[in-house]
Amino acid sequence: MDRMLFLAMTGAKHVEWQQATTANNLANVNTNGFKADLVSFRALPVVGDGAPTRTYVVDNTIGHDMRQGSLQATGNESDFALGGPGFFAVQGANGQEAYTRDGGYVLDSTGMLRTRTGLPILGDGGPITVPLGTQVQLGSDGTVFSVPLSGADRTPQQVGRIKMVNPGERDTYKGEDGLFHLNAGGVAPADENMKMVTGMLEASNVNAVDALVQMISHGRHFDLNMKMIQTADQNDQRATQILAVNG
Amino acid sequence: MMRALYIAKTGMDSSQFRLDVVSNNLANVSTKGFKRGTAVFEDLYYQTLRQPGSQLPNGANLPTGLQVGTGSAPVATARIHTEGDLLPTGQSLDWAIVGDGFFRIQMPDGTTGYTRNGEFKRNSNGDIVNPQGLQLNPNVNIPANATDLSVSQSGVIQYKVPGNPAPQTAGNIQLTTFINPQGLQSIGDNLYLQTAASGDPQDGDPATDNRGLIRQGFLENSNVNVTEELVNMITAQRAFEMNSKAITTCDQMLQRLTQL
Repeated sequence: MDRMLFLAMTGAKHVEWQQATTANNLANVNTNGFKADLVSFRALPVVGDGAPTRTYVVDNTIGHDMRQGSLQATGNESDFALGGPGFFAVQGANGQEAYTRDGGYVLDSTGMLRTRTGLPILGDGGPITVPLGTQVQLGSDGTVFSVPLSGADRTPQQVGRIKMVNPGERDTYKGEDGLFHLNAGGVAPADENMKMVTGMLEASNVNAVDALVQMISHGRHFDLNMKMIQTADQNDQRATQILAVNG
Repeated sequence: MMRALYIAKTGMDSSQFRLDVVSNNLANVSTKGFKRGTAVFEDLYYQTLRQPGSQLPNGANLPTGLQVGTGSAPVATARIHTEGDLLPTGQSLDWAIVGDGFFRIQMPDGTTGYTRNGEFKRNSNGDIVNPQGLQLNPNVNIPANATDLSVSQSGVIQYKVPGNPAPQTAGNIQLTTFINPQGLQSIGDNLYLQTAASGDPQDGDPATDNRGLIRQGFLENSNVNVTEELVNMITAQRAFEMNSKAITTCDQMLQRLTQL
């Protein structure tokens, strides 16, 4: 069998994986704070005896597109978003600190601030809890105030500050939980200068035009590989015909 | 079969779900005391097909890995508890709450329901009931010969009887706030029930602790913003179409494959 068949097959298989990534981006056009995944191919030359004529191609996830998603005014005081680079710190399902761009909080029954997906939002020293029976106010520097609703003293009390971090754009990867983690592991220091906007949410940054064009391009790329498989098949057919003993 | 097919399916499901929420908001655009919902989505689990940093045959480390996400899913419908517009109706038993509180309704099974809908009526016994005929909690009874029913901003219900100029007090409206009103469970009929997420009810008189004032002769309209919902509908529809396009593309790829 000609190795060309396997080269084309590998190509088709990996295009299909890229198609899955593109489909995942499209499936998350409604997901707040979502960052599109980027794909690329990596050349894998076959090194060995004989002429170096074959290079396989494999799919690669080179990271995610960190461009800002559009900010959407929700009119909801419990929503907040970042207008620049950086992340909010949340506690992942395994208890470790992880990062997200998906702002907005809800209070659970103990008064702890959680994201809409249920993860505790981290402050300077762990999760932030507001006393029961008070009202929450957010400052643009992430400070969380609780305003007493009874008694003579209604001064807002600072109960914590939402931790915002700004590691380098290339220093984070998207984990299996969809949250961002540091490449080097560990915890990023809080950035005191970061500001957030309240009453807004950051929409998904998936560019529908890009994704659809990518999808068509993957489809055609797949077709090309199919064509190569057909060609390899035809070559084989011709070869066997030549070798066939025609009585 | 192809991963992308199923991933695109989750995208279509999410868009469909978003459209369901938008439709429900639009359907309740004139429901008194209705609070609009928004659909919240999250990305699903990522499959790591190749770890970043794995060894290449030439001894170097792979600088990047290979991950494929598995789509999106709706995770919550958050209710936005902002104040709706006040509509003047002039009815003495129409009350609106200006603040964060909820009226308490005595449910048939003995539990308490909560509502922002202040359209009340009197039943044949003179009890004040909601449109479904359920009594206020605590119950307020108004005799048949009562006239000039008035409700103060702090919830005191008074009436006059013929031949007596002094107003009689029928009772007090009690309001309830929750630390997390978004955690209340909607059961229809404009009613909410307390859950573990909402926190315990904080009962008390109107005009105390942010519970809000009672405005007699007004109703609180739904807080649905029609423009916003229509924009959401357009984006949900287009997202649905894009994901169906992804399914079509996958189908064409599979078609090519089977034609080999």
